[in-house]
Amino acid sequence: MTRHTTRLMRLGVAATATALVLAGCGRGDGDGGAGEPAEATAVDEGAASGTIEVWAMGTEGEALGDFAQAFMDEHPDITVNVTAVPWDAAHDKIATAIAGGQTPDVSMIGTTWMGEFAATGALDPTPDLIDSSSFFEGAWETTNVGGTNYGVPWYVETRVLYYRTDLMPEAPTDWDGLTAAAQGAMDAGATYGINLQPGQTGAWQTFMPFAWQAGAEIVNEDATEFTFDTPEFVEALAKYQSFFTEGLAPTDLPQGSLEPDFMAGKIGSFVSGPWHVGILRDLDEAGMANVALAPLPAGAEEASFIGGANLAVFTDSEVRDAAWTFVEWLSQPETQVAWYGEVNDLPSVASAWDDPAIADDEYLGVFGEQLQTAVAPPSIPTWEEVASVIDTELERLCKSGADPQEVATAIQQQASSIGTGL
Amino acid sequence: MSAQTAARPGEQGAPGRAASHQGRAGAQDPYALRRRPPLYRRRTRAAWGFALPFVLLFLTFTAGPVLMSLAMAVTDIRSRDLRNPLAVEFTGLANFQAVLADPLFRKAAANTAYFVLVGVPLTLALSLAIAVVLNAGITRAKTFFRVGYYMPVVTSIVAVAVVWRFLLHPDQGMLNEVLGWFGIEGPNWLQSTTWAMPAMIAMATWRSIGTLIIIFLAGLQSVPTSLHEAAALDGAGTWQRFRYITVPTLRPTLLFGAVITGIGYVQFFEEPFVMTQGGPLNSTLSVAFQTYNQFGFGNYGYAAAMSYVLFLAVVLLTLVQFRLLGDRDEKPRRRRRRTATVVANKEIGR
Repeated sequence: MTRHTTRLMRLGVAATATALVLAGCGRGDGDGGAGEPAEATAVDEGAASGTIEVWAMGTEGEALGDFAQAFMDEHPDITVNVTAVPWDAAHDKIATAIAGGQTPDVSMIGTTWMGEFAATGALDPTPDLIDSSSFFEGAWETTNVGGTNYGVPWYVETRVLYYRTDLMPEAPTDWDGLTAAAQGAMDAGATYGINLQPGQTGAWQTFMPFAWQAGAEIVNEDATEFTFDTPEFVEALAKYQSFFTEGLAPTDLPQGSLEPDFMAGKIGSFVSGPWHVGILRDLDEAGMANVALAPLPAGAEEASFIGGANLAVFTDSEVRDAAWTFVEWLSQPETQVAWYGEVNDLPSVASAWDDPAIADDEYLGVFGEQLQTAVAPPSIPTWEEVASVIDTELERLCKSGADPQEVATAIQQQASSIGTGL
Repeated sequence: MSAQTAARPGEQGAPGRAASHQGRAGAQDPYALRRRPPLYRRRTRAAWGFALPFVLLFLTFTAGPVLMSLAMAVTDIRSRDLRNPLAVEFTGLANFQAVLADPLFRKAAANTAYFVLVGVPLTLALSLAIAVVLNAGITRAKTFFRVGYYMPVVTSIVAVAVVWRFLLHPDQGMLNEVLGWFGIEGPNWLQSTTWAMPAMIAMATWRSIGTLIIIFLAGLQSVPTSLHEAAALDGAGTWQRFRYITVPTLRPTLLFGAVITGIGYVQFFEEPFVMTQGGPLNSTLSVAFQTYNQFGFGNYGYAAAMSYVLFLAVVLLTLVQFRLLGDRDEKPRRRRRRTATVVANKEIGR
């Protein structure tokens, strides 16, 4: 018994000591990291040399190694070493690398992770070497964290309306038109006029275009406060909800049913990104004759969601010049077109879309058009958490018929308590 | 704990003699211990030498991270502090207060309680029933059934999830098809706030009965046939023999089964992770899943606090189970507990 007590006391002493050490450290006032705009230093392209360690995810990770050979031919002093990282593990791997100070020189970074990683101070601000005006505006905004740009947009994706021409003779151009077209598709025999994600992970990507179309914004000008509780946001919520209350959209479509149901004419339309062209084509090549794409119908303005991935250079890189030279090469229009040919990633550089390889594609044109008005969520460190709040609240809106105003208030209140993290 | 159990049999073995011996040698003993002969010292050193590799590994990879996570739980560490983990504020119990006040955490805690309170008894009852049937009725194809019931345990949850999603599909799923034969229109299992959790419980039960059946089968071997025969001669029916002979003899095994199942179920994570992502409307969100989410959001301090709350819940549940299934009677309790450990070790060794 006494021995136990002594041991407990010892543990207690150790814990207190640890606590004191931690308390002694404390958060300094000036280490805001992403809070204040950081200065970018210039890059000396001529002197660039060394071995660049690059991390990339998914297909990009597999293909980039061979693709970079062309760059190494141009720059004999630079060697590019690509490590493929699976998407599932990427976020934690980058976080661990930052914590351990063992970062690569360049890494591909999902657009919604930018705020989080930039806030640690591990990413290098983009130098003047990169021409910001060459990118789509929405894509460039994803690199903006608290007024400083980190990295460059590498490739993009955006959401458009997929619809069946036999059920919807004409693509709807505004909100009322969308409802009418969905109704028309149901009159023509479809079970549902449209499919919109009713909550669950990623539903915000389908919903936010409606909010942006209504004129709502996620945060105020300097990204310090959330602005979810606005008449515009409520209007968008009400519109989104109406598709479910009027029975035009399913609330409980089982996973994996969307594509076959759409190709079978049971669902008249849905909102999704470029990857669905391939999925639908694999499912039913002949049925593609009835499938068409259109930009999302406009509300007060036109808008869609822009996603994709960025390339960032880490501050700890010892071959910073070479790293930025490589990133700059990857964002040249010709390289972007060649890269599209390699892995079908949509170019983030606007002028690359003039190339016939992309401009002549019957489906891609719609994405190019939509990208002009596509918007990115703010790159704030807490975005993933706020997005999950929106997902949950959307589910309540679509499935339990919660009041749009009440949902907006709930999102605003939870988001405020999470904070922007800047 | 193991040291105590090991010490007890000696004391117990011959109470009378031990007491008288201690009485006489009582004054000498402490003196002998303090002197510590060289042989004793050398042996201690050798023992520490052998134990050292484990102690080092344990301190580095188990005790270290545990203490570190405890330190994290009392600070406001977030993902932005990755590069300077020491530059954080000490916040005391603020994280714990925030966790307990978080409506989402409460929802997750209620879901987890539902899962545990329904799932653990169900799993225990089902696997005991199957074990008894396998032990008594089926002799020829025993191995076949054992393998069959154990298969879900060794199958990857990812593969299982795909199959279960097909089974639970509202239109083409086998389950609703079968229900349809009886005129029952099955619900859309995974998309219904009422039925998603029962579906998770069914899946978890199916996945974990295999291990328990094996353990219970081993326990059933130790029920003496002579007792059953004597009871049968006295006119006890099958149910009475099960209730008054099998269950009491099996009590230590039941306790072991309840504890490992309880610990596993409180940390309920995989099923919602692969099947529902916590939905619909957070009806299958568990505490472990919510902790995982918070770590993903980069709220390391908050998530660490949450995992300590979960740890406390595991401890509490285990204590309750020991209370309910352990014996209240002092003497036999020790013997039975020892049996439980033996059975446990045997099973884990397999």
